[in-house]
Amino acid sequence: MYTIGQLAKRFGLSRSTLLYYDSIGLLPASMRSASGYRLYTEQAVQRMTHIQTYRDAGLPLETIRSLLASGTDAPTAVLERHLQALNTDISRLRQQQQVIVSLLGSASALRDSRAMSKERWVEMFRAAGLDEAGMCKWHREFEQRSPAAHQDFLESLGIDEAEIALIRQRSR
Amino acid sequence: MPDTNMTKTQWVELFRETGLSEATMRQWHSLFEQRYPAQHQAFLEWLQIPAEEVAQIRQQSR
Repeated sequence: MYTIGQLAKRFGLSRSTLLYYDSIGLLPASMRSASGYRLYTEQAVQRMTHIQTYRDAGLPLETIRSLLASGTDAPTAVLERHLQALNTDISRLRQQQQVIVSLLGSASALRDSRAMSKERWVEMFRAAGLDEAGMCKWHREFEQRSPAAHQDFLESLGIDEAEIALIRQRSR
Repeated sequence: MPDTNMTKTQWVELFRETGLSEATMRQWHSLFEQRYPAQHQAFLEWLQIPAEEVAQIRQQSR
């Protein structure tokens, strides 16, 4: 049996977080001690482990609660939906990143943004000794092996949709 | 669901297939680190390489 303090320590959470989880029924205390303190069983610890994993994955508490209530071991559909949403967010953030860089328009902004541009990749590839033909071969291999990752990579460079479609078309 | 992520292994295979040698890849990392350190970091993270290994790769590229 664990007290709320012990549980909080074990999971690196604050007591108030656990109190909140109790109040919304996400992680109810297993029982109360004679003096009214919340106590948690080993089963509650296991439940908290699942909650933490899903929190690390960024799932909202409400979603976690229904996941745990449904009792499925492999919440594939929920996780895939969340992954899809993350991909959309990343895409949007990248666009914002590119807009800000172009608004600032300075070399140091681009350096600090962590964003690569198409020109920079071409420069890096040239430095590695790849000529035009080598780069075409690289795109072909990329498209063939991991088409979705190829798309993602090209988006990360801030290349517009039409040009991405063209590059991928030529790589097939 | 389409896999939008690449792994380090896949990337290395891709480079190898394109005709880059081990030595060229090492040189490529050095240049990347020298010219665009923050982007090098972001790129290695994109390949889902653990933080410790990212630090190691960048260290060796200096």
